[in-house]
Amino acid sequence: MLYGRDVDRNVKAKARLILAIVVFAGIYTVIGLRLVMFAIASNAHGTHHTFAQDAVATARPDILDRNGQILATDVKSPSLYAEPRKIIDVEEAVELLTATLPDLDAKELRERLSSKRGFVWLRREITPVQQREIYRLGLPGIGFLTENKRVYPNGTTVSQPIGLVNIDNQGIAGIEKWLDGQGLAALHMAGLATDRLQRPVRLSLDLRVQWALHDELAKAKEHFKAKAAAGVVLNVNTGEVVALVSEPDYNPNNPREANDPTRINRMTTGVYEMGSTFKVLTVAMGLDSGKMTLGSTFDARQPLHFGRFAIHDYEPQHRFLSIPEIFTYSSNIGAARMALSLGVPYHQAFLKKMGQLDRMRTELPESAEPLVPKRWADINTATIAFGHGLSVAPLQAAMGVAACLNGGLLITPTFLKRDRAEALQVAKHVLNPSTSVKMRYLMRLNAEKGTGTFANVPGYYVGGKTGTAEKVINGRYAKHRLMTDFMAILPADQPRYLLLIMLDEPQAVEGTHGFATAGWNAGPTAGKVIKRIAPLLDIEPRFNLPDADHLILAKTVSSNTSP
Amino acid sequence: MRLLNILLIAVLIISASVVYKIKFDSTLQAGKVDRLRNELRHERNAIATLRAEWAKLDTPSRIQALADRFLPQLQPAKPTQFSNFDDLPARPPALPPPANGDALSTMAGSSNSDMTGSVPAKR
Repeated sequence: MLYGRDVDRNVKAKARLILAIVVFAGIYTVIGLRLVMFAIASNAHGTHHTFAQDAVATARPDILDRNGQILATDVKSPSLYAEPRKIIDVEEAVELLTATLPDLDAKELRERLSSKRGFVWLRREITPVQQREIYRLGLPGIGFLTENKRVYPNGTTVSQPIGLVNIDNQGIAGIEKWLDGQGLAALHMAGLATDRLQRPVRLSLDLRVQWALHDELAKAKEHFKAKAAAGVVLNVNTGEVVALVSEPDYNPNNPREANDPTRINRMTTGVYEMGSTFKVLTVAMGLDSGKMTLGSTFDARQPLHFGRFAIHDYEPQHRFLSIPEIFTYSSNIGAARMALSLGVPYHQAFLKKMGQLDRMRTELPESAEPLVPKRWADINTATIAFGHGLSVAPLQAAMGVAACLNGGLLITPTFLKRDRAEALQVAKHVLNPSTSVKMRYLMRLNAEKGTGTFANVPGYYVGGKTGTAEKVINGRYAKHRLMTDFMAILPADQPRYLLLIMLDEPQAVEGTHGFATAGWNAGPTAGKVIKRIAPLLDIEPRFNLPDADHLILAKTVSSNTSP
Repeated sequence: MRLLNILLIAVLIISASVVYKIKFDSTLQAGKVDRLRNELRHERNAIATLRAEWAKLDTPSRIQALADRFLPQLQPAKPTQFSNFDDLPARPPALPPPANGDALSTMAGSSNSDMTGSVPAKR
């Protein structure tokens, strides 16, 4: 009784009427709104199913080489799962499934199916044939989900730069990991990366060059019984890495191999004493300082003594050597004296400027800090002048040498395709162009009559410098454990590509006359690689060219040539 | 008044049936779009699979292995075997008119068999 007995019946009826109107209006509003919602949502409802199926499929963009060849792509493949709560007869399911997939462990399978969980994976990435057979078994609680499987059609050939993904399609090395860092990981987390229409990533690598380098390095590793072989082809004008190989490598389709620590990417992850190839930087420093010319001479009559240490030459000449002679005889004494004459701070500042003292960052997540001496005294400058006592990543050394030859521009290497204009935006001017011309001359001279003659492929006007470093074993230099490398520039008069070959502990084999230094193994390997890649890189063979003095030097620096 | 009522009822019935038809059509269309989308997805996946397969068959390591096995007579090109347009000999001033209307056989008869290729043999 809301109202008293004495209330007018009319008022009472009116109140009841209003109440009824409000209630009914409310009910109909709710029904109407719900209808509108269904009308709007019904369209999405049809596609809902397909989205659910793709939800676990974390798509990745394709990776292409510079010519559009596929280096990595996604393929859909079914995966088998079970919902243990829905399974009626576990024994029957185990029996039938192990009959279809013989390599499935029966005991483990039984445990999984008996668990009280809502969802378990039974086998990722089965074949369509297996899928059909299992489907025909008609087991309740067993189903399939389509997942993206990453495939690498080229196997081991490009594994080092592009890396690989784990079973959940997350990048764990190389460019694949870099991709995740570019926002793809966030997309995966949000479950949005299901679209196949993601833009493919175009790398600077050229699959054909990559394969030629891979093939020749594998042969060289075998032939010289080396522990490892690595190489890189760098476009000196844009900083693009056209090929990068590090043997032994792994097959990214078989991720277990990738964990082996001997299969690291030696070009970026390892740091090494580069040996005489570092003399390129020393000589460039000397010429760029303005304090010396190509005609300047340095005393190489006696070994250079520092307390107990003495710096010897591999081919002692016992006289004063000019800079071209220091370069072609690869005189350690000469290079050391040259660096010492400029002083330690100048040397340090120069190497810093050339990017040799800091960690180099490319797209590859794997990188290594150079090993720089803590106390940098005269003896350090003397040894670093010929490539001992400072360990850098080989790709980093290649960047420095490229800067000495491309007109003085330091360009951080990249694995993505880019053109000259983009490269110039990130380039740092570090050397005079005239220094660069002299360095080209010296590189060519060394290939004509110095240590690099084995790499001199007729027609391509190659320039090159060898480097042999004794490896440090237990804190001492080991006489017969060598790291040999070779830097080749082609063509030497107008550099376009820098080739770096590196062999770890090559042995003296038949045909090398008992030598295991770079001129006998890394040099000839570079020659073979150049023969194969030069046509691919669109380098025109030229014959009957004048020698280096006339072709490179005569045009620009006539005053400095006469001693 | 009655006429108006009848008219309104008629309009109501017509509009209701039109709305029903539109709704029905749109459901049909939505189903079609769904089917097409599904088809597209399948085609795209099939293309991706085929492209992956092609890339696998096209990979240089495989091609080289096949070439080594089945084309042993092929040699890598030497630097001397490359040429450019400047090295081409000049076009002969005038070709003799085809004698019997067969241009190819006339040319074959007149050509010098030593002059194939662009780089003269080394002496």
